[in-house]
Amino acid sequence: MRFMVGKAKGHGSTTRRQAITRFVATAALMATTALTGLTFGSTGARAEDEIRIGVIYPLTGAAASTGVELKAAAELAAAMVNKEIAAPEGLTVAAGLPRLKGAKIKLIFGDHQGNPQVGATEAERLITSEKVVALTGAYFSNVTATASQVAERYGVPFLNAESSSASLTQRNFKWFFRTTPHDDLFVTNFFTFLEDMEKKTGKELRTLGLFNENTLWGNETTKLQVRLSDERKFKIAEKIIYPAKTTQMTSEVQRLKAANPAVIMQSSYLGDAILSMKTYKELGFSPSMLLANDAGFNDSEFLKTLGKDGEYIISREVWALDQAERNPLIKKVNDLMRERSGVNFNGNSARSFTGIAVLADALNRAGSTKPEDIRKALQETNIPGSGLIMPWKGIKFDANGQNELGQGIIVQVQGGQYVTVWPTEVATKPIVFPMPAWDKR
Amino acid sequence: MTADILLQVLVSGLLIGLIYALVAVGLTLIFGVMDIVNFAHGEFLMLGMYASFWAFALFHVDPVIALPFTALLLFAVGVIVYQTVIRRVLKAPMLSQIFATFGLMILLRGLAQFFWKPDHRLIPHSLVSGNIALGPVQFGLPQVVAALGAVGVTGALWFFLHRTRLGTALEATAIDREAATLMGIDGQKMFALAWGIGAACAGLAGGLIATFFPIFPEVGSNFILIAFVVVVLGGFGSVTGAFLAGIIVGLIEVLGGFLIGPEYKTAIVLSLLLIVLLVRPKGLMGKA
Amino acid sequence: MSNRTVLDPRKALGAVALLAFALLLPLGITDPSRLNFFILILMGAQLGVAWNIVGGYAGQVSLGHAVFYGIGAYTSTMLALSLGLSPWIGMLAGGLLAVVFSLAMGWPCFRLKGHYFAMATIAVAEIVQILVTNSEFLEGAVGLSLPLDRSGLAAMVFLSKLPYYYIILGLLVVTVLVAWAIERSHIGYYFRAIKDEPEAARALGVSLTRYKLIALSVSAFLTAVGGSFYAQKEMFIDPGSVFAGAMSIKIALVAILGGVGTLMGPVLGAVILITIEEYSRTLFGSTGSGTDMIIYAMMIILVAVFSPAGVMGLLQDLRRHLPGAGKTSETR
Repeated sequence: MRFMVGKAKGHGSTTRRQAITRFVATAALMATTALTGLTFGSTGARAEDEIRIGVIYPLTGAAASTGVELKAAAELAAAMVNKEIAAPEGLTVAAGLPRLKGAKIKLIFGDHQGNPQVGATEAERLITSEKVVALTGAYFSNVTATASQVAERYGVPFLNAESSSASLTQRNFKWFFRTTPHDDLFVTNFFTFLEDMEKKTGKELRTLGLFNENTLWGNETTKLQVRLSDERKFKIAEKIIYPAKTTQMTSEVQRLKAANPAVIMQSSYLGDAILSMKTYKELGFSPSMLLANDAGFNDSEFLKTLGKDGEYIISREVWALDQAERNPLIKKVNDLMRERSGVNFNGNSARSFTGIAVLADALNRAGSTKPEDIRKALQETNIPGSGLIMPWKGIKFDANGQNELGQGIIVQVQGGQYVTVWPTEVATKPIVFPMPAWDKR
Repeated sequence: MTADILLQVLVSGLLIGLIYALVAVGLTLIFGVMDIVNFAHGEFLMLGMYASFWAFALFHVDPVIALPFTALLLFAVGVIVYQTVIRRVLKAPMLSQIFATFGLMILLRGLAQFFWKPDHRLIPHSLVSGNIALGPVQFGLPQVVAALGAVGVTGALWFFLHRTRLGTALEATAIDREAATLMGIDGQKMFALAWGIGAACAGLAGGLIATFFPIFPEVGSNFILIAFVVVVLGGFGSVTGAFLAGIIVGLIEVLGGFLIGPEYKTAIVLSLLLIVLLVRPKGLMGKA
Repeated sequence: MSNRTVLDPRKALGAVALLAFALLLPLGITDPSRLNFFILILMGAQLGVAWNIVGGYAGQVSLGHAVFYGIGAYTSTMLALSLGLSPWIGMLAGGLLAVVFSLAMGWPCFRLKGHYFAMATIAVAEIVQILVTNSEFLEGAVGLSLPLDRSGLAAMVFLSKLPYYYIILGLLVVTVLVAWAIERSHIGYYFRAIKDEPEAARALGVSLTRYKLIALSVSAFLTAVGGSFYAQKEMFIDPGSVFAGAMSIKIALVAILGGVGTLMGPVLGAVILITIEEYSRTLFGSTGSGTDMIIYAMMIILVAVFSPAGVMGLLQDLRRHLPGAGKTSETR
């Protein structure tokens, strides 16, 4: 192939020494490749009484910080099931796996890098090479979509604990279960909450500014919000879908400012949540209410990074530390988490923890590691709210695998803490409304 | 829509545009001097942000005060990168160079995640914070300081390139490498210098925005596409072109996003790029 | 003239042996995830060989090939979902649409040279990604899912990995044959002339734009076919995965790693790149510390530094410097 790489200089002038260096380099590369290929997928000997569960999270890439947090929570739950850490009495995981003669569960982690194809590849690897008996993950709704499809093909239970896209449980999958409530419920909660607020404050909160990021999640949320504001007679003053990977958000915030809605409903991941708050402040824009859709606004790092500038935002949640006042288990488990990884639980990691707990509960009741038995046991799951660290009524799956007993709460940042302000029966603090202007703080 | 809002939008566009300009001058300088597109340029920005962050977190040095330190550090990083990797692919085809800087990009992100965790960070209390209002127009002080800093650095770079011996030699190398070599200018030294200065510019931009932009290992990927657009629009290798193009891109992006829709803001900028290229295939001020 | 040489019997024998190996390989594999690994390699190789036609032979570096990949994936999937059309036909339709798009894109963009052309391809691909992301018709960022229940050869959906393996192997063989035919024909000769001596080629009356367009459209067609295959295999596509900028770069990387402008270079490149990628992630990705990225990046930098002509270049150097092998290395 004489024309190779055209003018790749150096062919004629390559000296023997260079050739040798290159040869060594190739040899090394080839050897690595060959070794890699040989060992790829092979699994070493493993203990008989070890039950392997595959866990797929974004451990590198833009969402790695969240993924690492989820991983820590899942590991804590596994350690409790395995009795490596004493679990507080009354918690579901405290039961361990007596029916499996005290077998231990082992979490095998896969990194999906935020990429749906990698998610599917990892799911397949975990099922076929790592011989996991069940899968959980994947945080991103679109990755959960592909990874759970693989599980469906292989007939392995997939328990999703933290993806909220409503469509995931509308696929008639037999092997898919989801513990968290989905966006349908969350968005409905928003509107019910606003109607409650109107009654309470006597203020009109009918004009909305929709401000959602542009992936699967933000898109579906926007659609639901548009539908519900029609149904409930709210008016959309501005609808913005923005690209999450951005260098500035001034155009977005300017549009919101020009439309001047009473309430902003925002769905953002962490980076853009922080940037948008900075931009609100820069442009001196403060709506009377900022109603955030979890995710970035509830990440442990949101307040750590923003400090005082994060105050007074209101967000939907599935978990809050102040719920410990109502459920002492929450504080105990949170203390253990902080001891191990130095951070408090948040809505995401609390759900991951719960996911592993639910799987362990099903494994124990199945008394077997056969996928079909686990699936049956999952279907029969009936965990009361008192055994969870979630403010839910419990866990019980409907025919589509969706947990019927999940609930959302609404929290507000007050004094550097997320406090529950809605629904009234679980609220711990009154709501601060309207949000104070930036120069009046 | 009122004139006030439009004015505010233009001011915001100008402020961010000046930051783009600073990121892009470093990139265009490297390209001009040795025809290499640096895919890892966004990562230099990321390193600059982390330098500011750690200066603050460990030594309580304000990011504004830490700027000279950030610049020196990133200059060193640029030279090291040149000496260890780039020098070896100077004579390789364009594709291998892309490959090398692309690998560098992933490497720096990986290292950042390895050493500093994937967390998002921000410098909480900075010397500069708060807002100023000029009539109906609001300015965030951190953004204004960053933009002024960008103008200062770009101005200093321009002065260096046109008014000092070393700078003129660098500029000469950028304009015509072979002629410069014949004139007795040490090419290797110039290349290393270009990488040092290029990285320092990106690092300074990082340090300047660290007061209002979240810091995380992948942050460079937010900026790299825009930086490329600015460089191409200005014309590969033209510092003045990059400066002007940075402002244009900032204005168009913010204004276009405001008028047409934020979901299309990047598409608007890219379309502008394509249109300019079709009319002027060498960008606004590219060398022939 | 290398393009007129008679088929070297040893090369032919090597090709047959390689193909036989590839055909028999799945027999020794029981683990579907390992078979999946080989499918990923074949997918990467197919895209690399397709990219090589325009990026390698014709020397027009495109860093926006994901646009063709995405067009292929979306066309076949949309046709299957809305009209119930078999993806086999959808694949061809996607390829043709990609050809049309490549002509519309190449006509203006080929006025640009070198880096400017590369940047323009990035810009075009990004714009299309943004448009698709915001298109209601294409379900925007939500993406499209193929139903699991319609499986079988006509629907190109299989529960087992084996059919996917043979389909992508077939696509790769076709792609390599197209590249081979181009390499040997006068078109390939013009491509290389455009790449190495554009001024001389123009002086001889070769229409540069015309041949660049031919190269781009053939490459676009084959890339789109690869995209349709991806959609059938994963059964879920969204703009962020098939139109991604990272995808464009990966397609080019495969070819560069193996050796641009060589027939089998991209295949070798895919073997190495996918292996490193998958393995570093499998081994180290689960730590969450970024180690997999560091290893992957080090490998890329090492290849770029030590072997600017790709692994094929290394092999050729090696043959040239091995005692007694100096003569044979000059023949094809």
